[in-house]
Amino acid sequence: MQPTKEQKLWMYENMVVSRRFEEIIEKIYLEGKTPAFNMASGPIPGEMHLSNGQEPVAVGVCAHLNADDVATATHRPHHQAIAKGVDLNRMAAEIFGKKTGLSGGRGGHMHIFDPKVNFACAGIIAQGCGPACGAALSRKMQGKPGVAVSFLGEGAANQGAFHEALNLAGVWSLPVIFVIEDNAWGISVAKKDSTAVARNDVRAAAYGMPGHYIPGNDPYAIFDIAGEAIKRARDGGGPTLIEIETYRLAGHFMGDAEGYRPEGEKEKLFEKDPIPAMRQRLIADGDASDADLDAIEARAQAKVDEAIAFAKASDYAPETDALTSVFA
Amino acid sequence: MSNEGTNERRLTIARAMAESIQQEMQNDARVFVMGEDIGELGGVFGNTRGLLEEFGKERIRDTPISETAFISAAVGAAQDGMRPVVELMFVDFFGVCFDAIYNLMAKDIYFSGGGVKVPMVLMTSTGGGYSDAGQHSQCLYASFAHLPGMKVVSPSNAYDAKGLMTAAMRDDSPVVYMYHKRLQGMGWLGTEAGATVDTPEESYTVEIGKAKVVREGSDVTLVGLAMGVHNALKAADKLAEQGVSAEVVDLVSLVPLDRETVINSVAKTGRLIVVDEDYHSYGVSGEIIATVTEHDISKLKAAPKRVTYPDVPIPFARPMEQFCLPNPDKIVAAYKAM
Amino acid sequence: MAVDITIPQDLWEEDREAVITNWLAGDGATVRGGKPLVEIMVEKTQFEIEAPADGVLTISRHADDIVRKGDVIGTIG
Repeated sequence: MQPTKEQKLWMYENMVVSRRFEEIIEKIYLEGKTPAFNMASGPIPGEMHLSNGQEPVAVGVCAHLNADDVATATHRPHHQAIAKGVDLNRMAAEIFGKKTGLSGGRGGHMHIFDPKVNFACAGIIAQGCGPACGAALSRKMQGKPGVAVSFLGEGAANQGAFHEALNLAGVWSLPVIFVIEDNAWGISVAKKDSTAVARNDVRAAAYGMPGHYIPGNDPYAIFDIAGEAIKRARDGGGPTLIEIETYRLAGHFMGDAEGYRPEGEKEKLFEKDPIPAMRQRLIADGDASDADLDAIEARAQAKVDEAIAFAKASDYAPETDALTSVFA
Repeated sequence: MSNEGTNERRLTIARAMAESIQQEMQNDARVFVMGEDIGELGGVFGNTRGLLEEFGKERIRDTPISETAFISAAVGAAQDGMRPVVELMFVDFFGVCFDAIYNLMAKDIYFSGGGVKVPMVLMTSTGGGYSDAGQHSQCLYASFAHLPGMKVVSPSNAYDAKGLMTAAMRDDSPVVYMYHKRLQGMGWLGTEAGATVDTPEESYTVEIGKAKVVREGSDVTLVGLAMGVHNALKAADKLAEQGVSAEVVDLVSLVPLDRETVINSVAKTGRLIVVDEDYHSYGVSGEIIATVTEHDISKLKAAPKRVTYPDVPIPFARPMEQFCLPNPDKIVAAYKAM
Repeated sequence: MAVDITIPQDLWEEDREAVITNWLAGDGATVRGGKPLVEIMVEKTQFEIEAPADGVLTISRHADDIVRKGDVIGTIG
């Protein structure tokens, strides 16, 4: 399955929005945290996990999803949220902890919920696998269209919740696609030291579903395989497991000195940055001109600027809001 | 002779739970049941009997032994418009899936600022006294009640069991429905006659968050939950023989907790004994006592007492287990010691 | 005319004893024919016996009593 020109440009734009967003978030996150890095300080306190480099996974998959489809994600969710169509202004406000945020400031960066586009994420590894199965089950039972995608990292593929969810999806033939972002590092532990198999696609056989491994962080290849899997699910063919090699250009979390990476690895990764690569490819394939892409990038920057301005201008909720929204 | 209006009938708690779910499923296509052995078997503790025959495999789903998967799937389905009833077969098993319960199910409404609802019921069996040992006999009320975001109820009788289950299924928040194994009416777990009571045929609700004074009295307030209520009622009978009038409060619900009913009762009697089959420390008994003492200590004629399970893993041998369990005699002794 | 409530011959195999675990109506209650009336247990399996007629229940064998096939445990009149 190959993307149309429109789809290619959609993917490119969303990748750029993601990257510009992460760059400004990183800058603001570090405010108040230098010279002494105190996680509690600054306009964006707490943890921050950025998705620089992993954009192709989000756009290659979400290009096939609409607002009614369900996606669950993890502690590194911004690129997936953006590609899924989450309200960027309200997401930014939530990351800043403001009242106008998606959850009124109660969730923050790791708990982005946008019911309008059926997106949710959480900070517990592999916790989103089960709910994706449940949403898929719900659509099947109600006879309503829609598939579910569970985004997770390669480290999460060793968590019990992952295995249970895959088996359940397999035995009940649920329309759910498990998408593993393999960025090779579970914080500081390399995949080869944590995982008994080199590639997680082989695990699909244990759960009665097809498995794919996509090397090279290539948005078009991801678009192709994800498209087939999503179509299969929509047609009643059941679940699929996809693992995608991607590159984590940021540290695990902001503040991570990444001493565990072998020397030179980071520099090599930057040479493979998927955004300049896609820009060059679009031009080479005749899908867009420099001017077209400049315009897209300007538009992306404007969206991000607007979201950040919205977040900064918004007030915090009254502190007593902490006590509300516990029950429905 | 035939009767026109009344069909007096008693149900066991097991039958009451099944009937409640059956009636709700007849009226609401969004309700479905998932769990281990809840289909063909009708539930190890009888609480889903007859449902598979009536509703079929789509809506009555036997699951693999994958608590994390099916409980978190229930959360996902609930957020997508369904209203699942899920069973955690023994509350003791919560260790393998507690993240899905306290970190996911209980927090998604809050994390989303009310953007999503989680209309699910997590039913789970509790309680010992029949030699099922340390990993199959616990109550763990406090472990659930302590953590924010989930309602917690536990019926002492079939009437409340049916009404609470119906209320739980209609609640848009997650409800943990804890049923005591020895109150179910399963003969092989012993039976507690007081739990099998007249239960209306029609659908009705019992309010979640409201305690009940199940026996009025004036000399001492006995507060209990589930099996504790029956222990308290029997103790009240024994105390009555000795001229002591005991009031018995059935908490019914731990979250929300009806502190006011307890406070009012102790204001009347001046004495408080809490019966709790869960572990002694850091739990329900301490919470009830704190509720009363921080409200108005002047009402107390004596220091409160609690009859609880000691802080030990539950032993297997019958003499040891019976030594540990709350019982009516211990409650009477506690009164004497006041 | 009082109708006996009898332990059926065909609920379980062999000549095992059963125990009455739960009466699903009280002594003196008005009951309806065909509705579950009493639960008995053989080893670990529970069976239910339906009321054989409409009427007023009189219980003669109580919960925890051991019974055998053919025993009369109450009447409806």
